Amino acid sequence: MPQLICIDPAEQAINVTFELGETILQATHRAGVDGIIAECGGGCSCATCQVILNADWDETLDAPSAQEADMLSFAIDPTPYSRLACQVELNEKHDGLRLLVAKRQY
Amino acid sequence: MKIGIVGAGQAACTLIAELIRGQFDGNILVFNRESRSPYQRPPLSKSWLKNPTDTQSIRLLPEPIETHSSVQWIQEHVQAIEPDNGAILTNTRHTVDHIVLATGTRAKRLTIDGLPSDKSHVIRTVDDAVRLNHKLSDALNIAILGAGFLAFELASSLDHPERTIRVLARGNRALPQISAKAAERLVDQSPASVYVGIRIDRYDEESAVLVTNHGPIPADLVIMAVGAEPNTELAKACDLGSHEGIPTDSFMQTNHPLVSAIGEVSLHDQPHLGESARIESISEANDTAITLAKRLLGQPEPFSATPWFWSDQGDLKLQIAGLCARSDEESCLLDTETERVVIRHRGDQITAVEAINAAKEFMAARRLFEEDGISLKATLEQGSLFRLLQSSRS
Repeated sequence: MPQLICIDPAEQAINVTFELGETILQATHRAGVDGIIAECGGGCSCATCQVILNADWDETLDAPSAQEADMLSFAIDPTPYSRLACQVELNEKHDGLRLLVAKRQY
Repeated sequence: MKIGIVGAGQAACTLIAELIRGQFDGNILVFNRESRSPYQRPPLSKSWLKNPTDTQSIRLLPEPIETHSSVQWIQEHVQAIEPDNGAILTNTRHTVDHIVLATGTRAKRLTIDGLPSDKSHVIRTVDDAVRLNHKLSDALNIAILGAGFLAFELASSLDHPERTIRVLARGNRALPQISAKAAERLVDQSPASVYVGIRIDRYDEESAVLVTNHGPIPADLVIMAVGAEPNTELAKACDLGSHEGIPTDSFMQTNHPLVSAIGEVSLHDQPHLGESARIESISEANDTAITLAKRLLGQPEPFSATPWFWSDQGDLKLQIAGLCARSDEESCLLDTETERVVIRHRGDQITAVEAINAAKEFMAARRLFEEDGISLKATLEQGSLFRLLQSSRS
């Protein structure tokens, strides 16, 4: 199965397997990765599931929707490579994708 | 220390997760009546309803927490609690050091003469969603009773070219929880036809209509979205609650030192309202659970959150900062073809910000509510919310 490599806020690297079509949030939640809060459960409504993707992976992803971009602008210290984990759907190109969980979600 | 949690919904699960992440040194017994892993409720009325089989995607707890060695899941119906003895009674007797009531709410049902049970639905559980989904294929006319957020979410989720959806309100307008200005936008965009001031007399099965004061209304299916009532029976039986909820202090403790209550059953001081209230929202479930977790972990901090809420209806996203607000004045901060932001105030206080397709304004308002806490008086005078909102758009 394809995998993500997640660096949690304690800087531990965790390999997370994912199924095609699921979101980063669904995959990391199942694995119990620390630091992704997702208060709203994945509804793009709370901006507490911020992850920072490794820049190399940018072009394998669709750009954030206006709603996601607006929510991200109020996340804690967003970067140009920040995304909301609930809004990024994973496909076969994302095997090996590295991401950093934001140090703080609120 | 051994904690017994009655209920396995959002509040219970947030408490479990917070305790485990906080290195809680003890055991947690969780009494879950349903035979499946705890799940999220908000998706049940949204797009998930179209294919209600994928329960994996709505699981509430990460696997490592659900299966953590300190958590014991007990699928038994709790019949009573004995606060003085720290006892939770099912068909056996479980003794704990602290009892947490996280019993949540249940959907209200109306009795309608002549309505057969297979045409009468509510949406509260996965089983409810599956049951409704199975009946959808030949339902050309759906009547949704009640005109709150749930009714309009269902109308969007059930929208289909061959189907007519009618939302029947008892009161004189839809979505009375929010300002008329925000409600109007949601109603305009809804696929449902909205009828107000409806009194239902009976259901006529032969012609498949609801007989009402506005004449017959076609209904192959009737969905009751008329609100929820708190599950307070266990608390009532030991004088810890009433039909209105389970009163707690700001640390979620009930009138008995060995019993706490969290989530939608808890009735406590809401700093943003300046009065005691029972609030139904995910934020309330999470924030009360976090408050209790801190206390049980020995770092008590009083409840201080301002509740917020969201609802998805087709392409519209409604986000509200400051729930159950009262206001004597409402003003539109932003009003375009797709977006609308309504500020509600009472005197010189902002009590809520209702944002439609306007995530930045919602987030700015939440931020400001958090910073200013309960004293929003200064906010309106100085116009800082307006400045923050305006700067968020530039």
